[in-house]
Amino acid sequence: MKKIIKLSKKQRYWLDFVSAMTQKEIKARYKRATFGFLWLVLNPLLQMLVMGFVFQFFVPVRVDNYFLFLFAGLLPWNFFAQSLTKTTPAFFYERNLIKKAKFPREGIILSIIFSNLFHFLIALILLMIALIGDKLLIESYTFMQLINYALRMLWVFPAILLLLLFTIGLSLITSSLNVKFRDINFIVSLAVMLWFYATPVIYALNLLPEFIQPLFYLNPMTTVVEMFHYALMGLPMTMMNFVWVAIVLIIAIFYFGIKIFNKESKNFDDWL
Amino acid sequence: MTILEEKIIRNRKHTNDVVISLSDISKKYIITHEKPTLVEDVSRILRFQKKEEYWALQNVNLKIYKGEKVGFYGPNGVGKTTLLKIIAGISSPTSGKVKTKGKIVSLISLDAGFHPDLTGQENIFLNGLIIGMSKAEIEAKFKQIIDFAGIGDFITAPLYTYSSGMRLRLGFSIAIHSQPDILLLDEIISMGDESFRKKTSSLMKKMFANGATLLLVSHQLEYLEANCNRLIELKRNE
Repeated sequence: MKKIIKLSKKQRYWLDFVSAMTQKEIKARYKRATFGFLWLVLNPLLQMLVMGFVFQFFVPVRVDNYFLFLFAGLLPWNFFAQSLTKTTPAFFYERNLIKKAKFPREGIILSIIFSNLFHFLIALILLMIALIGDKLLIESYTFMQLINYALRMLWVFPAILLLLLFTIGLSLITSSLNVKFRDINFIVSLAVMLWFYATPVIYALNLLPEFIQPLFYLNPMTTVVEMFHYALMGLPMTMMNFVWVAIVLIIAIFYFGIKIFNKESKNFDDWL
Repeated sequence: MTILEEKIIRNRKHTNDVVISLSDISKKYIITHEKPTLVEDVSRILRFQKKEEYWALQNVNLKIYKGEKVGFYGPNGVGKTTLLKIIAGISSPTSGKVKTKGKIVSLISLDAGFHPDLTGQENIFLNGLIIGMSKAEIEAKFKQIIDFAGIGDFITAPLYTYSSGMRLRLGFSIAIHSQPDILLLDEIISMGDESFRKKTSSLMKKMFANGATLLLVSHQLEYLEANCNRLIELKRNE
């Protein structure tokens, strides 16, 4: 393969290191499970069925195509929640390594996030194939309709980018601070649980009273999940003009994540 | 003050090539007791107390030249390991400047980077990268590493099936094939059977013939005297 960008030795090493750590994460997770990679699709699918069943029949939520709605929101949410809860105590768990060798510490965090991203992308691609197949075979879209449909799906790319930046930024903050203040880990697991209900995954934002809706946009995950709903199902975003709030917040958190990590990582050895 | 007292044992020959230079290095640790950090911070502020500090190293100046074999000794808690960690870049000094040249590998990290569910081969790549080898270097040395470790068919088995001796041998084999310019050893490594030790010492000799620098920390003065050409005693002047 021809290299397009010429990397310095240091950058090359960094990339190799992060990719090797990511591969380790992916391989190690399914190595001794009989169903192996099947779990990666089975997991969100079963979760969708259980939740769909509960919220369809016990506490009905008035959203068309509710199972698909759930699945489209659960995928990015699970990526975010699983990454954050796993990265927060990661430096603490890897203390043996950190105290004994010098290597790019961010590799520990990035490898967890990238391996989750890999799983997330596979599930997302499978979902998109199923959706296009459905439009093509069952609803027999015309060619132009299909093109329009596929073009709208391109919105997943900015959505993934925002989701990734937000997850990396926040993970760097919580994991770095957790080295000194171990309460962060408990706070994060509790916060993620509550956060789930503050994000329109099991409900749609437009079902809520209008005056309260803008508040939800202080949560960047609202925008991210709504972007996925739009890209995959064509549901319009409830308040389009609040998107910039999320973008500013996400960039700020990403920036502070790197700042805090750079400051704290120098002294990880002292506190572990 | 931390005092470094030099003792040159044998004809100390070295180039004028400084590979490690420490200027005015100090390292402060903040002492925490059984209470969590946050509680201690708050209660300290409420009682107008200062943080409890401990200076592990104070104003250390040191130059080490290419090809030297330096042994560090001194009583417990004088800061030998801290010094080594600062040189290795694992810990950073509170003040002062560290300059190092070349690849540093420390043998305190023998099997720290191993993952029990991955095979020996996969672990060679992972651990190699963790101690600072590039992917190309690992690929080039791959076969040598496996041969030297002498673990046979186990190389394709997951690491949790290894005996502890095999794990250490594999870790050591990776480290010694990483071609460090500076090798850091904390305490003496004596592992493996007679034949493995022989292989090790011949490989080490070759490494030092090529101009590698060695830093050794130990309590056993005789061992240091036999293996080093420069001894440094760490003392504390309260």
